[in-house]
Amino acid sequence: MNSKTAQPETPVFGTISRRGFVKTGGALFVSLAVPIPFVARAAAAENPTSIDATLPESWLEIRSDNTIIARTGRTETGVGITGYYPQTIAEELNVRPETITLIMGDTDRTPDGGYSAGFLDGMTNVRKVAAYTHQALLGLAATRMGVPVSSLSVTDGVVTGGGKKITYGELVQGQHLELKIPIKGTMPKPDPTGEVGMTSMDGLTVTGDPPMKAPKDFKVIGTSFPAGHIPDKVTGKTKWSCDVNLPGMLHARMVRPVTMGSTLISVGTIDAKQFPTAKVVRKGNLVAVVSPNEWEAVQAAQSVADSTKWTNWAGLPGSENVTKAIRAHKFAKPSQSKGKAAETKGALQSATKKISATYEQGYVRHAPIGPFVAVADVNSDGIVTIWTHSSQSQGLRARIAYVLSVPVEKVIVRWLDHSGQYGRTTFGGDGAEADAAILSKLTGKPVRVQWTLPEDMAWSSVSPAWVSDMSAAVDAKGQIVAFHSAQYAPHMEDPRPLGALLAGMPSAASKPGGWVATEWPYNKIAHRLEDVYGMPNIAGDSAYGGLRGNIMRTPGQRQQNFALEGFINEAAATAGTDPIEYRLAHTTDERLISLLHATAEAANWETRPSPHRDARRSGSTAITGRGVCIMIRSNAYWVGIAEISVVPNTGVLKVTKFTLGCEPGKVINPRQLDRCMKSGVVMGLSEALKEEVTFDKSKVTSTNWNSYKILTMGEIPEIKIVQLSRDDKGFGGGSEAANALVPPAVAAALFDATGVRARKIPLTPSYVSSLLKA
Amino acid sequence: MTNELTLSVNGVKQTVTIDPDTPLIFVLRNELKLTGPRMGCGMAQCGACAVLLNGKEIRSCITPVSGVAGQEVTTIEGLPAVWAAEKGLSADEAEKTLHPVQQAWIDEQVPQCGYCQSGMMIVAAQLLAKNPNPSVEEIKDAFTNAPPSPHLCRCGTYAAIIDAVQRAGKAMRGEAL
Repeated sequence: MNSKTAQPETPVFGTISRRGFVKTGGALFVSLAVPIPFVARAAAAENPTSIDATLPESWLEIRSDNTIIARTGRTETGVGITGYYPQTIAEELNVRPETITLIMGDTDRTPDGGYSAGFLDGMTNVRKVAAYTHQALLGLAATRMGVPVSSLSVTDGVVTGGGKKITYGELVQGQHLELKIPIKGTMPKPDPTGEVGMTSMDGLTVTGDPPMKAPKDFKVIGTSFPAGHIPDKVTGKTKWSCDVNLPGMLHARMVRPVTMGSTLISVGTIDAKQFPTAKVVRKGNLVAVVSPNEWEAVQAAQSVADSTKWTNWAGLPGSENVTKAIRAHKFAKPSQSKGKAAETKGALQSATKKISATYEQGYVRHAPIGPFVAVADVNSDGIVTIWTHSSQSQGLRARIAYVLSVPVEKVIVRWLDHSGQYGRTTFGGDGAEADAAILSKLTGKPVRVQWTLPEDMAWSSVSPAWVSDMSAAVDAKGQIVAFHSAQYAPHMEDPRPLGALLAGMPSAASKPGGWVATEWPYNKIAHRLEDVYGMPNIAGDSAYGGLRGNIMRTPGQRQQNFALEGFINEAAATAGTDPIEYRLAHTTDERLISLLHATAEAANWETRPSPHRDARRSGSTAITGRGVCIMIRSNAYWVGIAEISVVPNTGVLKVTKFTLGCEPGKVINPRQLDRCMKSGVVMGLSEALKEEVTFDKSKVTSTNWNSYKILTMGEIPEIKIVQLSRDDKGFGGGSEAANALVPPAVAAALFDATGVRARKIPLTPSYVSSLLKA
Repeated sequence: MTNELTLSVNGVKQTVTIDPDTPLIFVLRNELKLTGPRMGCGMAQCGACAVLLNGKEIRSCITPVSGVAGQEVTTIEGLPAVWAAEKGLSADEAEKTLHPVQQAWIDEQVPQCGYCQSGMMIVAAQLLAKNPNPSVEEIKDAFTNAPPSPHLCRCGTYAAIIDAVQRAGKAMRGEAL
């Protein structure tokens, strides 16, 4: 078992390095002993609540029983890094992956920071550290065994050479390993002028080029090694962030404003007879009820909410007007442009045949099954400890420090498992942590804040609505010769903690903007310009920032790819060409071409243009259709093929089969990739068919699972997976992206079946009906 | 406002002194330290809190603790014992044996974040106890259409769950995996 079994013990400032060290190493600790004790080095470092990332044992601790502790700032968010990281380390060290235990995400006992979306960068870090350590161990073994390094080989942690054998555990016992891990970068610090209100969120990077194994020699990478977090989750042994229970801890329930902009008039009261242990705590517009008894906190909070008075506010446009609200914004210049502006505009102006279309989507949200939860303990000695499930522990640490106006060094963040985040905590802000920290400071006790589902769905950050204007010039054969996209969206990187906004405490603001997220696949198009325009949050100037926009799984691409690939499908139909043939005619990228062929074959794709010859837009019997889309992202290639049936008279659309192809360079773990691909299809279908955050003029109205609907098991189609692995392109990101392949393929399949374009999602029966009747 | 209630959870009788209206989930988690069932929606819409009551799924987030007194509650922590009893395993064997549903969840690598999976395994255990060889449609039906709500997974592990239920069924029927 190689997952961390988290201990919610309270770190002690100044001695945490020793405690954490002894705790993890225990009596068995021998490690790569260094002349100056580890503790002293850590304490001497700039930040005493951190460990020194230049020390190899901060990353990898080899113990006398030949087990290994690996530490990473990245965390398991459900994409399998508790499988991938041990695989990678094991590969370079030549040990068995099951000997490796991961400690993840704790700011005081992991070296590198960073966020989980950057799991490949984090993997490169641990891979390089393992490679450096491997070299140092070989040097040590050569000296000990009196043979040249070149004569040594290592299998399963046993070094063999010159007729002798020694295990890594024996080798490092009492030995000094002369090794310094080269690193660059800094941990995040508050910076209100920075893009997300912080300095870099990337954490530290291990530099240099230690000798690493060639893919052809991989023994562990490329196998379906199981993810280490799973057994404890299945048996109920995992300590989740919601399970942290400290002595003297208070349970809190928040009393939120009645609208997204209301301010407090008067706080409600608690009937002390009915709720003897409950108390109201307030700072600014932050109102909470705390009690040592969770059920009493729940009931008392309801009673306080019923009697608390708030001002009226109605500053939202209503979700039905969201496109209008985006269009009404006066956009200046693009936040980012790619391609050549002048020549593309010129080519479009002089074109004899042009096509254009507009695509749009409303707000959607991350919507985890488990609402936000956090525990904070603001100690009398000034140390703030946060127990979190944020996917950006170091960023959260800096943000909490900023909220409380304390140095970053005074904040310790301990990470534990929880419900998936799907991006909402990537910048370390959204969540219950600020609530908990503020309440702990006010009460002087450890406080656990559990958001409710309606609260989470009303107040957590959201993936913003967007509008895309696409245009192209085509030649006589229908080939695209010039392409222009202009994409408009509210802010997508606003991680300000709600608790700080309500309490009127500092919350480093971030800059609205946007970026060209989709990588350009169509290199045979002569002229192209991609523009992305950002604007502030909708109702951004209201008291708490309005609809705080945030990134969500496959951010940017999930929006932009719907427009790009929808438009390519339209162009293919205009040209009367099969949509796969059309794509093949616009690219020379052999990786994309190979994957298109492989996925088309797996889906039994029939080469013909869309719509289908039997397409119709009325009738009470089902008709079928199929559609395709592609994407390139983070050195991974994707092809999605949807097959649907739709009953025109009802607008009810069913996806019957989805074939998804992926070529992410070297596949690290085929089964985890299979799981991530299939689950990504599920999330993508959910977005394509069902999801939309609704709001009226004053508040979000989709605040539970009946009003914010996501896909159920009964709605999943047959999902067919195609994986291509290759040794010559490094590693690509396969853990997310799949969701972005679904909406364009499903919309294309609807066109194939009916001849009607859907340029907006979700494809609900009422929307599909309205399109077919138009 | 508090009563003394005797609960039987995972085969162990325990007495708690508590407000009888307290939702079962708070008693399981905070009093009995059984953290398998988890708080999701709090309104019986998602299934994360599901436990078995006399072998039938209930949602512990909306069930007052008084309603289960004297009856047998099973959480995922208690599933191995259910299987051991059914198969008449010795104490030694039982110690080493998970419920086939749990084993299948590991073998098929079902959990992604894993938050909803406790409730998912509860449904699977209930389904397979009644129907040891369910079709894909029957599995989908059990996780989607049984009241009070579908069991929701935001990570999207539904396909893996179907694989795992079929695998667990095979194991329970004594077939080769």
